Amino acid sequence: MSRLALTRADAPMTAARVGIGGPVGSGKTALVEQLIPALQARGIDIAVITNDLVTAEDAERVRRSGLIDPERVSAVEAGACPHTVIREDPTLNIEAADELERRFPGVELILLESGGDNLASTFSRDLTDFWMFVIDVAGGDDIPRKRGPGVIRADLLVINKVDLAPYVGVDLARMQHEATEVRGGRPVLLTNCRRGEGIDAIVDLLEREVLFRS
Amino acid sequence: MFDRGEALALLQLGDSAFPAGGFAFSWGIEGLAADGLLSDRSDLDGVIADHLAQRWASMDRILLRRAWHASDSDAIAAVDRLAEATTPSAEMREGSRRAGRALLGVWVKLAGPLSVSYRARVSADARLGHLAVVQAITGRDAGLTVDAAELVSGWTLITGLVSAAVRLGLIGHIESQQSLARARAFLADLLAETPDDDALPSSFTPFIDIAVSRGPLRHVRMFTT
Repeated sequence: MSRLALTRADAPMTAARVGIGGPVGSGKTALVEQLIPALQARGIDIAVITNDLVTAEDAERVRRSGLIDPERVSAVEAGACPHTVIREDPTLNIEAADELERRFPGVELILLESGGDNLASTFSRDLTDFWMFVIDVAGGDDIPRKRGPGVIRADLLVINKVDLAPYVGVDLARMQHEATEVRGGRPVLLTNCRRGEGIDAIVDLLEREVLFRS
Repeated sequence: MFDRGEALALLQLGDSAFPAGGFAFSWGIEGLAADGLLSDRSDLDGVIADHLAQRWASMDRILLRRAWHASDSDAIAAVDRLAEATTPSAEMREGSRRAGRALLGVWVKLAGPLSVSYRARVSADARLGHLAVVQAITGRDAGLTVDAAELVSGWTLITGLVSAAVRLGLIGHIESQQSLARARAFLADLLAETPDDDALPSSFTPFIDIAVSRGPLRHVRMFTT
């Protein structure tokens, strides 16, 4: 056993862990694909964990994106329990994150993408330092009013696919207002991940609130 | 004799809600179902019996007992390497290590002294951390007897298999209780006989091993194994 290996094994885990949850199809993987280059552009050393529900499709999509070293992308199977693997029993995700930190000692931030779910999922505070919940306008503008735990308790609510609002009969301003209201004024940000719109605001928030950079 | 303290510890540590990642491992149930070899409760009971008799009792239980009686970290690691060497399927090895490391991680956070010590070793050696070995280490940290530790080991295997079958839609919630009761009786029979201290680990579950080994080739895959 090498001394270096022992030192790395015993080193405290210091990378910030940021969860990304939300319903199936809301754009979680698209958000990850936008966040990777945006975070890298600011010199932030990152890694990614995906919790695919039934396939390894999301992990493979990120690995093959060319945006990040595939070795920095880990997949954790959820055993058909996307909520359990991030909340009641996050041990497999914690192990995966610890392993990424051991393999890449300089990593500063690990994105953990949840498997698709309904509005009831929340991340364990033992797993993440900060987590965001992604919904989209095409899912209906009544989602914030349903006050699901994901919408209410996330550190950041992201409303994605804002460009679709006119086509699905959504009053975006009202949706954002209601989301902010049910969240007691805590952050709500709007994105169009296909075009990269709104991503800088999320990265600004992560730098300020998670990495404590001014 | 009914020891309430130990019984309560077993209820906690053998509970499917114990956060050690067990829900993500089907140990071949998903693959056998996908291959048309498991479709109802009768099939499931047969697979559970195979798991218990042909793998757990002759392999995991032996490894657990050897690790339990190991005198120091070097001796435990030797048992761990034996687990690695006697598991031909790469997917089974990987699954065993992932499950073991998850369990070990929980006990590190619970400040189990043996777990903390062995974790440093496991972190530096990718071949270590097999589930049966970690069950011995964490069982000692939990203050269990070896009899209790192997009971938890066998029972959590059973609940994991049955729970996976329910989530895959192979059986219903009442059938699951019937399978658990049957497996519980079988496990008790197996535990009634104590293996020799010098017994070597062995297993013969070819269908299960193949089903797990084919996991990476399957497009739809919800479980780690």
